[in-house]
Amino acid sequence: MSKDIESEMRAALRPVAPSEEFSQKLVAKVTSRRSAALKPRRVASGWHPLAWWSGAGVAASVVLAVGVHHHLEQQRLQQSGLEARREVLQALRVTSQKLNLAYEAVKSQSTSLIDEQSGA
Amino acid sequence: MRKCTLLWFLALLAPALALAAPNPKLAIPSFSALAQKATESVTITLDPGLLGLAAKFLDNSDPQDAATKEVLRGLSGIYVRSYTFDKDSAYQQADIDAVRSQLTAPGWNRLVETRSRKTHADVDIYIMVDHNQAIGLALIASEPRQFTIVNIVGAIDLDKLHKLEGQFGVPKLDIDPPKATPAPQK
Repeated sequence: MSKDIESEMRAALRPVAPSEEFSQKLVAKVTSRRSAALKPRRVASGWHPLAWWSGAGVAASVVLAVGVHHHLEQQRLQQSGLEARREVLQALRVTSQKLNLAYEAVKSQSTSLIDEQSGA
Repeated sequence: MRKCTLLWFLALLAPALALAAPNPKLAIPSFSALAQKATESVTITLDPGLLGLAAKFLDNSDPQDAATKEVLRGLSGIYVRSYTFDKDSAYQQADIDAVRSQLTAPGWNRLVETRSRKTHADVDIYIMVDHNQAIGLALIASEPRQFTIVNIVGAIDLDKLHKLEGQFGVPKLDIDPPKATPAPQK
């Protein structure tokens, strides 16, 4: 009885050469695992996502800062220009008022001179 | 060697020549004490840079702006000080004399001098001429409660100034540019 069991076990556990399909599957599995294991390593050695986003953020900040600075500079220039224009117009207005004053004085003097001459 | 000596000589002579050249820009005092007493004060200092900037903001399609732009062409400075007080004799004649004394310098000629007994307004207009071209204008107007000093520096085209008539109420003064540089009036 025990001999039968033993012989059956020997028959069941005898070394068997693997089929060709098995070896192909095994090679395919090993290759896919290796490539999966290599992928993260490649990312770590190049651009890490965090570093990429940080770089993009810094670049965006620089562009934004330059844009804001340019806009503020334009705004400041426009304000200065409008202020200078207002001052020019005011300066000419003041000048014209005083020229008017001189003109009125000259005119009244010449009128009184004419009156005196006609009276004489 | 001779060329080098000549260059050195010219370099040394340049400041002296610059000093000798007529300068139409007046040294206007700050009048800070008067500005505090004044009820209204106008202080305008427009150097070449600001005049250029102002010209860029003048609209050519607007007649007033276009006329102003024409006047500004060739100018290198506009300086205005005007103080209005709430009572008579708030300022002293000495305050104005500091400026008036500069107008006795060679090159300045008094164009108009008006004294009104009725309004007690005195207006003096001086012009500086160089090579038959007006290069500076000074105006001093003193009234009992107001005094104004205007100094315009640069190539002033009086014809263009005439064109401002009606724009700012500038009257025609029948001012013709002098033909030759006359001797300065003291």
